[in-house]
Amino acid sequence: MTPLLKDRRLIVAIIVFLVFLCIPAVVHDTFALRMCTEAFMWIGLAVTLDVMAGYTGYLNFGHQAFFGIGAYTTALLMMKAHWPFPLAVAAGGVVASVAALVIGIPTLRLRGSYFAIAVWALARAIQQFALIATFTGGPDGTRLTAFLDPQFFFYVMLGIVGASFFCLWFLLERAPFGLKLKAIREDQESAKALGLNPTRLKIQAFIISAIPTALIGGVFAYWVTFIDPGSTLSDLISDQAIVMVVFGGMGTLIGPVIGAILIFSFKTLFWAYLSQYEVLYIIILGAVIAGSVVFMPDGVLGKFIRKAVRRSPKPESLPPPATAGKEA
Amino acid sequence: MELLPQALVDGIMLGAIYIAIAIAFSLVFGVLHVIDFAVGEWIMLGAFAGFYLNLWAKMDPFLTLPIVFIVFCGLGYLLQPVIQRVLSGHKGNPLLMALVFTFGLGMIFRGTAQTFFGFYSHSIPSHFSNGSYYFEKGSFFLTISSVRLAGLIYAVVITMILNYLLRYTDFGLAVRALAQNKEAAGLMGVNNKRTNKLLYALYTGITAMTGVLIGVIISVNTKMGAEYSIFAFFVVVLAGMGYLAGVPAAALLLGIIQSMFLVYLDPGWTLLAVFGILYLILVISPTGLFGKGWV
Repeated sequence: MTPLLKDRRLIVAIIVFLVFLCIPAVVHDTFALRMCTEAFMWIGLAVTLDVMAGYTGYLNFGHQAFFGIGAYTTALLMMKAHWPFPLAVAAGGVVASVAALVIGIPTLRLRGSYFAIAVWALARAIQQFALIATFTGGPDGTRLTAFLDPQFFFYVMLGIVGASFFCLWFLLERAPFGLKLKAIREDQESAKALGLNPTRLKIQAFIISAIPTALIGGVFAYWVTFIDPGSTLSDLISDQAIVMVVFGGMGTLIGPVIGAILIFSFKTLFWAYLSQYEVLYIIILGAVIAGSVVFMPDGVLGKFIRKAVRRSPKPESLPPPATAGKEA
Repeated sequence: MELLPQALVDGIMLGAIYIAIAIAFSLVFGVLHVIDFAVGEWIMLGAFAGFYLNLWAKMDPFLTLPIVFIVFCGLGYLLQPVIQRVLSGHKGNPLLMALVFTFGLGMIFRGTAQTFFGFYSHSIPSHFSNGSYYFEKGSFFLTISSVRLAGLIYAVVITMILNYLLRYTDFGLAVRALAQNKEAAGLMGVNNKRTNKLLYALYTGITAMTGVLIGVIISVNTKMGAEYSIFAFFVVVLAGMGYLAGVPAAALLLGIIQSMFLVYLDPGWTLLAVFGILYLILVISPTGLFGKGWV
């Protein structure tokens, strides 16, 4: 493995990150900044979803539960207990990690169907709970003190998404943790025979996927200043994140990013020009999911980008001829 | 306490409907090994088919059942090869992909239904709708509405037919063989693809028919799918995944829980209670109430 600082992917990522950091200095249009912030948010949600779907093979149909937990924890702590924003966001992450632990322990030792059902039901139960409980404000939602600074939220969202992306990339692509997860995904019994504890590793993966989601949710709550069960706990959040992951390419970290950018651009254009056909949006999302599964199981990344990269020859990466040593 | 017998009987009649949903659902899971996330949407589409047949052709919903069954059997028969294709793919994780596929399918169904049928709640009128049987003896009283009774009879009939199909026909033998071991069944001459297609068609047909009954007994709207999906999942997990004989007890339990919440507690908490029980079952006995499901 190449040393961390010489890894070409890291250098590219750092350059992209620095370019993003400069955006507010150049672009002063509030709308553009808002769109960028939301794009970062979706990238974060898609990547965290892919940690479970792509690396452990357990699909989380209730991703919005952690987003909503983060949003509600932050909002309630800031409004009712007057906590400062960073502490409240961090508390959202803690609550989400506890929720992931509680839901992960019984379900992640079983086959994927149980997990899919359990998180899907959990997300709906939490939405129902937010609707009927009084301290969450019920269907009226919760309002936060407005803090209208698009640049602040741009940097915070970029920082959180960038940091989570780096941590996830390091854990999954550079550290043994990612290899262990892949081993379990490919063959759980063999992985067990090698001394890995599949349930524990999967729970760890679930927790590291839940924490950034909740942090993003917390920032989102402070950003939009108003949250209700219909928006922050809506199943449309995980629907869209799943489309991004499947369309972009499951099982990699860059695939969901590509999917998130493409689907988010589509979403923005759709709502700008075709907002009177709002239910058409769900049909298109469903069609994109089903179509991607049938026609390009590796997503855009596998279907087009990888292929294009493979076609261009890379002499330095070719293995040395195997016969040379044997003949000598 | 005067309401207790009424609540129990209502719960049993409601649970009977869940038997009809969950038994075919569990059967498909047993053979395809994939949870169909579109189960609630099949129910919704069936209910709307019944609603429009009733509206346009002025047919009694109970007479539309065979038509709905045949139409949705056809749809399922045409759709199953696509699921089969995803399932037999070699890339990545086919089970996960099939799960995602049914999820996407559910979204397409929901979106299409909302486009064409709107957001309003309807109810399918039937000749039986107003009839009811009333018993009274001292402080004990019981009202049984005739549509709910018809639902109970329907569920019993469906269960008996499926039981007969599975036990005494070649098709049933093939299904049971496939559920046990796909490769061995194929070697013994079971036509895997055809059996899967027929089974899926049977499942979509029964589920859509049950949807019509739900439309008569409760109501029809384009958002109902998620609720019934959750109930179907709950019943299947409680019964033990892939264990058919546990379905009736689990479904009746769900019906009784729901009706108890309706009568004695706040119905808004039903979903939370359902999730709580689901969670407890997964913690204590993931193989279901009877310990015979798959892990």
